[in-house]
Amino acid sequence: MDDLSLEVRAGEIFGFLGPNGAGKTTTIKMIVGLLRADRGAIVVNGHDVAKEPVAAKADIGYVPDNPDLYNRLTGIEYLNLVADVFGVSRDERRRRISELLEVFELESAVRDIIQSYSHGMKQKLALIGALLHEPRVFILDEPMVGLDPKASRLFKDMMRNHCDKGHTVFFSTHILEVAERLCDRVGIINRGRLIACGSVEDLRERRKQADETLEDIFLELTAEEEAK
Amino acid sequence: MARRLVSLVLAQLNMNFAISHSRYYYLKKRQRLWEPILIALSIASGAGVLAFGVYALASYYYSAAAAIGQGAVTLTLGILIAQVVVLILGFVLVIAVFYFSNDLSILIPLPLRPAEVIASKFAVILANEYVGLAVFIVPVLVAYGVRAGVSVVPYVLSSILVFLAIPVIPLVLAAVPAILLMRVAGLSRRKDTLAMVGGFLFVIAVVTLQMLVQLRAPSAGDEAELLAKMLATANSLVDVVGARFPPSVWATKALALSGTWQGLSNLAVFLAAAALGFAVLLVIGERVFYHGVVSGFEAGATGAARRASRMRVAAFTSRSPVVSLAIGEIKLFMRTPVFVLNGFTGFVMFPVMFVLMFLARSSPEIASLWDALLAAPGADAIGALVIAGYLFVLAAMSAIPFTAFSREGSRNIWISRSFPVAGRTVALGKAVGAEGMIAVGALPGVAVLWYLTRLPLSSVLAGVGLGLLSSFMLCVCGVLFDMWRPMLNWTDQQKAIKSNLNVLVGMLIGAVVIVLMYVTVSFCVRLGLPEWAVVAGVAGAIAILLIVAVKILGVVADELWVKLEA
Repeated sequence: MDDLSLEVRAGEIFGFLGPNGAGKTTTIKMIVGLLRADRGAIVVNGHDVAKEPVAAKADIGYVPDNPDLYNRLTGIEYLNLVADVFGVSRDERRRRISELLEVFELESAVRDIIQSYSHGMKQKLALIGALLHEPRVFILDEPMVGLDPKASRLFKDMMRNHCDKGHTVFFSTHILEVAERLCDRVGIINRGRLIACGSVEDLRERRKQADETLEDIFLELTAEEEAK
Repeated sequence: MARRLVSLVLAQLNMNFAISHSRYYYLKKRQRLWEPILIALSIASGAGVLAFGVYALASYYYSAAAAIGQGAVTLTLGILIAQVVVLILGFVLVIAVFYFSNDLSILIPLPLRPAEVIASKFAVILANEYVGLAVFIVPVLVAYGVRAGVSVVPYVLSSILVFLAIPVIPLVLAAVPAILLMRVAGLSRRKDTLAMVGGFLFVIAVVTLQMLVQLRAPSAGDEAELLAKMLATANSLVDVVGARFPPSVWATKALALSGTWQGLSNLAVFLAAAALGFAVLLVIGERVFYHGVVSGFEAGATGAARRASRMRVAAFTSRSPVVSLAIGEIKLFMRTPVFVLNGFTGFVMFPVMFVLMFLARSSPEIASLWDALLAAPGADAIGALVIAGYLFVLAAMSAIPFTAFSREGSRNIWISRSFPVAGRTVALGKAVGAEGMIAVGALPGVAVLWYLTRLPLSSVLAGVGLGLLSSFMLCVCGVLFDMWRPMLNWTDQQKAIKSNLNVLVGMLIGAVVIVLMYVTVSFCVRLGLPEWAVVAGVAGAIAILLIVAVKILGVVADELWVKLEA
């Protein structure tokens, strides 16, 4: 990453966009503590990820781009493990798991071994695991990949509901139409540098092109950056 | 087809030895370049010492055998031991590499024949075997060559060919039943369990067979006949020793008679047998391999009845993070056949060996010596120490604690890394999980030891208590060590354990502690200290070591956890 400075506010959905290899996943991995930044600081809800990793992680719900889960556990065993380490009480987890399983239609499969799940089912299980403790910051790397249209729609509604409660959603995506429709603000990075940040309206105004789509803006900005 | 196969084999070998991966990280990105250099130096020096030890032993053995005209039996024994070891470990290796490799989902959709996939996987196993065998068998070959004064060129050429063919036959003997077992297991819903049970049965069968042959005392008539034959014919002992596994006789004669027609014909027979075995494997594999593999990709779904059932309230259990992580660790380990087959081999093999040794003590002298040992003063206390030592050795040999993080691999480590718990909690959870498995795995061996030694219950309980303390201490050390330098990038689960140097470190630590304890206990007993006082002293020492290990865990685990990058 190259001098990346970014602030994501409570109650907003923030879309993190960029071409392949731009550094989206690296940034996300640094936020959730999977990678270390060699300089600078990452603060989640007042907790420095490097200095207070446990406190920071307690506020995060994370779903990676390719949800490789513990294939040898059943769905419910995995969710119980996650609930235990996040300290979700028994009554609360029962309510949350039942609710989320119903929403994502995984009730019938939750007692099966994860190895038997399709990619989409694993993605749903990972999402449920990440939402179990009602994280204040929900971080997702390409969350729509593998979800069927119905689950995708449900998930988008869920992201909005999550933000309406004052929580934050930070996600990376290649689907610019989704980002344009869903995000309060977006950040575009290329080659590790943040090249634009703001609401889609802001970006349009800055480029003085009122009829441009987010896709147009994205392609122009990244092309300009490549040309430098 | 040949070009495709060569390309496939080269790619497999590249992944197996992480050649491109190492080149990228160590040479291109120059990340922690000191690490591979240090590891290479350590391995080279360790292997050098080991090889020299084998050379010295083989030379000594040759001198003794040559004095009675039986020098070539040195080769027979070396080759025989190598082949038996390959046979015992080969079954698990084949199941792991053939059926549980990460790359199978890539290979199967490719337009490759099953035999090609098998051939490439077999090449990977062979390559790994060569690395291990080089340290053991090359010194034997050199020692014989030097001491017997062989003709250099034909001997070296024969040695190379024999060395290359040595692991082929035992691996084929292990692979064929493994493939057939997986074909049958693939038909069952419980294929993982069947694979594990089949693997253990194979190991038990081979160990039993070997020990029974070895421990069978020759009768007086046999001995006289053997002696007469030995005195009459040079190297006749080769046929007697090698009778358990004839290929070792062909290999021995190919080497000992190298440069002669007889040597050449034995070499031809040995190589032909290896080639024939390989061909049989390919033919069988071509027919059944994909059935076993493809069934491995099928869902382990548990049926409509279960699907329809509603979740019980009991499904929502609530536990502390340490307990939950420990239980998760145990479940993940116990449901992965390759881990169980590797980690639990000692748990199964030792009790079988104890029983066989007991059954084989046909000689009245040994029986009376055994009785005298058990009747000796302080035998109760020493027996407790033996049981404790058994648990400790199991922990050191099982590889469970020393691969606690490595087993998760780069694909799964993100899960625990994103948990909001400190590194010390994760480490402690894994150590408790490892200890749980070792404690349960040790039960059959302890039960057999109890039966054989007829120790009082109090001694057994003291031994188990002390064993649990000491093995938990090792678990804490192992988990910390693996947290420090985990091997997360592996292509098949077998590599996470078998190619993991951390396992070797665990065994070394275990060996050093056991030797130190043995020396100390022997010294104290010779000094005339009461045996139970010695046991109490050992317990105190172990308790102190455990406290130190847990304190170290508390200090360093959080930092190691942060540094652990996938």
